[in-house]
Amino acid sequence: MRRSRGRRKLVAMHRATSFRWLCRVLGAVWIMLGLVLFVSFFAYQRPGSQALLPTGPWGHYFAAMAGCALVAWGGTLFAAAREPALGRGVGTATAVGLVGMALYRMAGWVVGDYYAVAGDTLRVEAGIFLLIALALVWLRPPRLPSLGSPTSEEVA
Amino acid sequence: MLRGLATAVILLFFALDLALPATPVGVRGHEARVRAAVPQASTWLGHPLPSLSFEDLQGREVHLADLRGHPLLVTFERSVDW
Repeated sequence: MRRSRGRRKLVAMHRATSFRWLCRVLGAVWIMLGLVLFVSFFAYQRPGSQALLPTGPWGHYFAAMAGCALVAWGGTLFAAAREPALGRGVGTATAVGLVGMALYRMAGWVVGDYYAVAGDTLRVEAGIFLLIALALVWLRPPRLPSLGSPTSEEVA
Repeated sequence: MLRGLATAVILLFFALDLALPATPVGVRGHEARVRAAVPQASTWLGHPLPSLSFEDLQGREVHLADLRGHPLLVTFERSVDW
């Protein structure tokens, strides 16, 4: 009985560590990618500059917006890595986001327009995102017991 | 319960990703149409083109018959605005 409890504790510890590392790595990648997208907008505005992204003014506009969102997303992932139990919802939200990203990649691959420039990349990326989403679902830390809101006497 | 459901959905998408055909629909469809059209196209060899009309960059209508007697190169491209 005691051994089983110890083992369960060990598994929970490993799970929390893996969740932390997954959040850290994904957060770092998102922030770097976000910064590249953000900077590409400003680089595009310089007169006579070569566009970093293969798109026009509106493409750069929305890329910069996506970059800002990615930086914010990466930040929340770092926060979840610092405090996994409190960042439980971040894992779920990130998994949902990753599934969405996998779905549009699969659709783009099937239609075929992107195949000409990216080959099988979209399909491989979709598979990787789905695996990360699965890992986030299974490594998600357990819910903390609700502490409730303090009474007025406690606050006083 | 929710974790099981989420796992099932993700695995379903993963299986779909693995089961996707080796070449996307656009490429398969394009190749198939071209190959099917080759025997019909070869019957036109040595014959004048049918009467065709196009719109030029200024929006004016251009008839193939108006260009008879002039050297002419007609190309067909798929336009993808990247």
